[in-house]
Order: sequence, then structure tokens, then C-alpha cells
Amino acid sequence: MALLQESLFDISAYFSKDTIRLLIRIAIFLAISFPILFTLRGWAHRYFEKKYSSHYSMLAGKLILYIGLTLIVVTVMGQLGISLAPLLGAAGIAGVAIGFASQTSVSNIISGLFLIAEGPFKVDDIITVKNTTGVVLSIDILSVKLRTFNNQFVRIPNETLIKTEVTNITRFPIRRLSTTISVAHKENIGQVRDILMEVAEKNEYALLEPEPLIIFDIIQPSSIDLSFKVWAQVTEYVSLKNTIHEEIKVAFDEAGIEIPFPHISLYAGEATNPLPVRLEGESLESDK
Amino acid sequence: MEDKIWGVIELGDGEVQFRQLGDLNLWFKYRNEEIWIAHCYTGNFEGEQSAGELPEGVRWSRWAHKNAYQNIRIEPAHADLPLIVHSEYSLKVSPRTDIKVFCRVPLWISIVIADDGYKLAEFPVHQLPKTWFGTRLEGELCYHTTTKASRNLSEVQPAPHLITCPVTIANRSNVTLNFEHFCFRVARLGIFLHENTLWADETQITYRGEGQNSDVVMTGKLPKGITQQMQLSKPRRKIQSSLATRTFKHFIEDTLTLG
Repeated sequence: MALLQESLFDISAYFSKDTIRLLIRIAIFLAISFPILFTLRGWAHRYFEKKYSSHYSMLAGKLILYIGLTLIVVTVMGQLGISLAPLLGAAGIAGVAIGFASQTSVSNIISGLFLIAEGPFKVDDIITVKNTTGVVLSIDILSVKLRTFNNQFVRIPNETLIKTEVTNITRFPIRRLSTTISVAHKENIGQVRDILMEVAEKNEYALLEPEPLIIFDIIQPSSIDLSFKVWAQVTEYVSLKNTIHEEIKVAFDEAGIEIPFPHISLYAGEATNPLPVRLEGESLESDK
Repeated sequence: MEDKIWGVIELGDGEVQFRQLGDLNLWFKYRNEEIWIAHCYTGNFEGEQSAGELPEGVRWSRWAHKNAYQNIRIEPAHADLPLIVHSEYSLKVSPRTDIKVFCRVPLWISIVIADDGYKLAEFPVHQLPKTWFGTRLEGELCYHTTTKASRNLSEVQPAPHLITCPVTIANRSNVTLNFEHFCFRVARLGIFLHENTLWADETQITYRGEGQNSDVVMTGKLPKGITQQMQLSKPRRKIQSSLATRTFKHFIEDTLTLG
């Protein structure tokens, strides 16, 4: 028993000169390789950000980090004398077990790879998933992170993105604003068209090409509806939306164009005579 | 006032200076070691603009600069984006024909510190509408402007707020070229002052037919009577010897068809 205790707590049995030398070697290797890895990742990040976009910068950074970490782990294991072959064999068996246990995570990882390969959106794009609209912050192994416009952080699992309809609002450089303009039945549609085209031409965010479009949409009971479609740069879409409606209102007011409210005309039974109206109150008193 | 606009303006303490060119109205002053600049466009504000009070709604912008320099220089500049230049009347160029037209395009005003050339601000003399050159999938943002595309300059009124750009169009194709509009990359042109008129160096466009690239060459050749000494502004971008680009309307039509 005493012999066993002696051998168990004999620290020198664990830390032989060779072991210490090996540990120092590994420590030096880690002390050098980690700064190099992070410097490389930072350099790739900056280079791709400057040369391409933040999306490719994020991808390049992650690629370098994962490859670097794998190489470091393999090298350290090699130094420690741990053979990779049995580990890989075990990983195969364990993989099946882990795969069953973590189906969702594996599905997210695979979905993430598909998302990166397919590239429906990039970092800094604005996307809408179900009812959430936000700026893509990062595309990670398990999920995509969004920042909504009211500054909330939203994490969407990659699997959801693969299964759901995703709208990329900023994919193309220009975007069309479609709005319905209602005018009274009595208005001259030609004049309304001219006014709308003039408003579009004067608006600082509206593009002249592709040309604004006015479509006679429908005759409603209270109004004539025109569909007015104007293009803007994707970055100026909100500014266009904010300004053009106000400008249309001002232009209509100046030209005396009526923007009708929903109303019902009552038919009194005769084509020419108006519906008789009787005033209550003072007039009623004076009648007496 | 318009013919004296280019050059150095000495700003006295608190004294307001006023300049007007085209639709652009500019006010300058020097106060508390800062340069103050205000601008507005005629038509956007009520009444006549003058050196006195700023119109209601116009606000000063302030620049604090090292050494508190007091002198600014006003320079003409070309637009900061390409221009889609529409011809007021459609001009058809027969096959195997070379013509020269003068396109007059609106200029930008650049305000720089006279001592070290630091750019403070830049404004167009007219508010130009924006337009898109390309397809709905890709393209570039441009300004839209209209030109008479005159063959003879004696027919047009002198205008100090426009730059006259000589453009040589060579139709090398077998079809008639309908010169309706083209994308004019004015950033590669310099500006010269000659007899109170601003000039740009020559642009040569060679049209080879629909679906073929048109060669656009900023030749750097100066119009008759103009020398390098008359240069007021250098090109925003370095002149490239040849720029193969689809310039005419066909570009948009082609790519739309393909898209």
C-alpha cells in the first residue's frame, strides 16, 4: 500500500525531463501558432473586407480559423504521441451515435453549408424571414444572426432558412416602389398622369430610368385607383417612400385634384332632382 | 458676378460673400477661425437670393481647418457620376459617317482651401435628376441631362454654368445610328476656360453596330484655340487611352433582352 501511494504521488514519475521538455515545446508551439493564426485571420478579414465585401471577409476569416485550429490540434496530438487513426475510427462510430442524438444541430450545420454555397444573401444584406426583417450580421455554422431595425438581435437556425421563403431586399441595386393613388371620378386622368410624372421627375430619390409607370388600376365606388410605380436605388427606397407621397399630396392640392374619401351617393328616385334635405334646429324653429 | 466666380475669395472676419451661378446660390463667411458655407437653389426658396440674410430654411455648415486659413478658391468640376446625355432632338447618323457635336453639360462647383487645396464642399449648379444605366440586376447610377447636341456653336447662347464638350461620333456600322442618348463619363475630362466659356477636352465615340462594344476614347485633344494654360480643373479620374464600353441605348436593350 505504501509502495502504491509512493508511486502515485511521486510527481517526478509524471514529470520526467522528457515530459517537461515536451510540454514546454507544446507551450512554445501554442504561444507562436495562436498569434500567427489570429494575425492571419485578421489580415484575411481586412483584405477581403477592403477588396470584396464583409460577407467574404467573414467567410475567409472563419475558413482560416477552422483550418488553423484543426492543424494546431493535429500537431499537438502528434507531439503528445496520440495517433489519429484510432481516433478517426472512434469518431466514425461516435459520429453515428452523436448524429442520432444531435439531429437538429447536424441539420443546421449541413443547412449552413448549403446556405454558404448557394449564397441567397450575404453579410450586410437586408432580408425578410417570416415576419422578421433585419440586416444580416453573420452566417455561422448553426445559425444566421440578424439585427432588426428596432435594434433587436435575432438568431435564425440555418435549417429554418433552408425550409422557409427568404426575401433578400438588397440583392439588386434598384427597387420599385408601388403605391396606389386614388382620385375622384370627376378628375381628368391625363392631368393626373402628368402631375404624377412631374412629381417623380422632381423627386430627388426617384430614378428617371427605369421609367416611372402609371397603370389605371380600377374604378372603385368612391374613386379611380391608379397604380404608381417609381424606381429608386435600394439605399434610397425609404427616402423615396417618405417624400413622394407628401409631394403628390402637395401637387394634387395645388392642381385642385380631389383625393376622395369613401362615400355613398343616395339615389332619390329621380335622375335630375337632388335628394331633399331638411335642416333641423334653428331653421325648424323659424318655420313655426 | 458670374464671370468673376472662379478663383480665390478672401474671407474677412464676419463679412458675408455671395456668389450665384445657374440655380446655385452660395454664401461664405469666416467666423471664429471657421469657414461657414451655405447654399440653396433658386426656385426652392421664396424671393430673390442676395448677399444679405439667408433665406428661411437655409442653414450654414461650418468647417474648422488647421492653420485657420481664411482664403477659399472656387473651381469648376465635372459631375461626380456619369451623365446620361439625351439629345433634345433625335439625331440620326448615317452608316460610315463621322460627325462632331457639342454637348453642353451642367458643371459642379468645388470649394477648396486656397492655401492647401483641401476640398470643403462641392455642389452642382443645377439639381439634376438621377437615372439608372444598365439592367435591373446591375448597372450604375448616373445623372440625367439634356443637350441640344449642336453642330455649330454659334447657334447656341453662351452659358457660364455649362461646360461645352466636343464629341466626335464615328458610325462604323452598316446601320443608321440613332443618337438619342449616351452615357458620358465626364470624370475623365478636364475643364478649360476660354473667352468666358468652359470647355472640356474631346471625346471620341466609335460605334460598330448593335451588340458590339462602342469605343469611347477621351483623346485629351483640346478644342481649337484652347491651350493647356487655360486649364482650370484636372479630370477627376486619370484619362484612360481607350475605354471599351457599350455607350448607346442598345446596351440597355441588349442586356434586357438577354436578362
